[in-house]
Amino acid sequence: MKKLLTLLTLLPLTLLAHMNIAVSYPYIGALTKTIGGEHITTTVLAQGNWDPHFIIPRPSLITKVRNADALIMNGGQLEIGWLPPLLNRAGNPKTAPSAPTFLNLSHHIELIHKPKDVDRKDGDVHPDGNPHFHLDPQNILHLAKVIKEFLISIDAVDKEVYEKNYATFATMWQAKMREWEQKMGDKKGLKVIQFHDNLAYFNKAYGLVNIGTIEPLPGIPPSSKHTMNTIELIQKENPCCILHDVYHSTKTADFIADKTGIKIILMPHDIEALESIDNLGALFDHLTSAIK
Amino acid sequence: MKKIVLSSMVCAALIYGADVLPVEKRTFDQSKFIPDISLVMDASYVDRNVKDAEVGHLEVPGVAHGLLGSHAHGGDEHATYNADNGFNLNYAELVLSSSVDPFFTMDGVFHFSENGVHVEELFFTSNALGHGTRVKGGKFNSNFGYLNEQHHHAWDFADMPLVYEAFLGMHGLNEKGAQIQWTAPIPFYFMAGLEVLQGENEQMFGKEEMEMVDNAYAPTATEEIAGSDGVSMVIAYIKASHDIGNTTLLGGLSYAQGDSRIDHIDEHEAEEGHAFSGDAKLYGADFVVLHQLDSYSSIKWQSEYLQRELDGTQYAYNATSGDLMQPTMLKEQGGLYSQLIYTHDKNWRMGVRYDTILKNDVTNNGSDVEQPSGLDKYTAMIEYHTSEFARFRLQYSHDNAMFNEDGEREKIDTIILQANISIGAHAAHSF
Repeated sequence: MKKLLTLLTLLPLTLLAHMNIAVSYPYIGALTKTIGGEHITTTVLAQGNWDPHFIIPRPSLITKVRNADALIMNGGQLEIGWLPPLLNRAGNPKTAPSAPTFLNLSHHIELIHKPKDVDRKDGDVHPDGNPHFHLDPQNILHLAKVIKEFLISIDAVDKEVYEKNYATFATMWQAKMREWEQKMGDKKGLKVIQFHDNLAYFNKAYGLVNIGTIEPLPGIPPSSKHTMNTIELIQKENPCCILHDVYHSTKTADFIADKTGIKIILMPHDIEALESIDNLGALFDHLTSAIK
Repeated sequence: MKKIVLSSMVCAALIYGADVLPVEKRTFDQSKFIPDISLVMDASYVDRNVKDAEVGHLEVPGVAHGLLGSHAHGGDEHATYNADNGFNLNYAELVLSSSVDPFFTMDGVFHFSENGVHVEELFFTSNALGHGTRVKGGKFNSNFGYLNEQHHHAWDFADMPLVYEAFLGMHGLNEKGAQIQWTAPIPFYFMAGLEVLQGENEQMFGKEEMEMVDNAYAPTATEEIAGSDGVSMVIAYIKASHDIGNTTLLGGLSYAQGDSRIDHIDEHEAEEGHAFSGDAKLYGADFVVLHQLDSYSSIKWQSEYLQRELDGTQYAYNATSGDLMQPTMLKEQGGLYSQLIYTHDKNWRMGVRYDTILKNDVTNNGSDVEQPSGLDKYTAMIEYHTSEFARFRLQYSHDNAMFNEDGEREKIDTIILQANISIGAHAAHSF
């Protein structure tokens, strides 16, 4: 009888405890799953091989938000073009930005490159700063902690599980970070070119210096004039390589490489960006081995 | 002395004025609460092979007249988009939106044109009920079909599909009322919606009282056709979607029902114009397939079929005697559009559209009224986007659906160069 009673009181708790958490990008899904373990299911909205700025708000995503118990987003205006209409149509108060079950990760990170003046003549700028902060492994560790605290705040019953999962992850990640630090040790001061400055945090973490982008301004496709300037810049500054994202066409980069002999290295920005990258560790393993 | 006092006062005022406190130190500063604001302009250059004076009098036989150009209606000068040859300023759309409190958001969409300001939409929305339910109240574009909810600047062509424009006019189903939508708690997208609306569509629905004389040339009495008070229109729809890899399928079925009053009668112009009073039903089926090639490139196929039934009495003056004729009238009409859009990259998009009215059965006092066939239209467009915020579109259309007042077909060739530019808050379009 006593057993039955405990079972009965625990039953709704366990039902509550299993949460379905919608997240905007795969890296958030991986982190959340690592901390949440068996107590949560994650539903990732954006595909990792897509440009994170441009996600088509397919109706199936409305259903995913509608069925979520909580939502974790990157923030820093990375989702501005696609997430608001999904939240608006889902009819789910748990995913409203004012809800305690809503987490905007960018509010917990010091963003870099915050523009002093915001004007669209400078391209499609992010007024809060560069939002691609997850590509610094130190930030990943910090975000894991933020997510752990978030999960505890909405499900205090499983606090110990989340604490334990976080501790395990932190130990593993710190060891990994030392390994990556070592691998990147001789890359400090290396000059690089990118398509869009989405490796700003990675570059900062390992001392790489971004000297230019193939797009003339954020969100503005390459122009021939700017491409000629980039070629000149490469000839003058002699950067090691073009660190190219996986979702823009490498057409312009190929042209530049053809003229200057510079190497093009594909740099995945998230899990699933390349087929071989199926977890967060693999993402940074790849990034830190890419520049030879 | 006066001068000195005056100039020192001016100086003091200037110094005082120059000493503006920074935003964070202003005690009662509320600038952080300014809603998201955006302004969209739409302007065009039009080259049409029909004169402006004529184009407003053209009609889709049995279906609608006065679709193109500008005309005076009820004392207001009223212009459709891209009305005139040469330059057109179609509108400046001002959008304001913000959270009201934790339970509501509010959106206002205002069209400023040279003729005045039009409240395009003004509504509040709430997700607070939960369980996948969203409620909306105010004035808004109905979610009937696929295209109807979208604003003009989100369309893939500079003009509305023929069947929409002919049945519903250039604003579509844009009504005052309330809406409730529910998304089902199942693994794929299924949404059902219900709207209760005032029912004031100029082309098809309406409930206003109408007055006309019994004879246009020698009036002896006034005929009054009673209107109805309150809500007169109901719209319901279901939509479902499924993904297959990078392909998204979306389909919907919609139904609208309401009173119908069309008042285009005038005893001073007895030969043309008519009025209609009765019941109107509109059925819609829509189907969209979007295949994503990569982040910036996609192919989208979008089709909608609309069918309507207008059942009631038509009022028109006999051109010779001037007598008011009141035959019973039944119109069963259907049409579709189908369009294919290819998005090449962030700069280039192109597309084609086919429009047709394929059912046009009009019965007057029980006998069929023959209507011409071949009411169709072909359109092609190409767009260049300098950024997400500026788009230039070149569109060509060949329209076989328009007839002049003598009942002769007027083939219309139109070239439109459209500029659509926006500033302010970042627009996020839904699927």
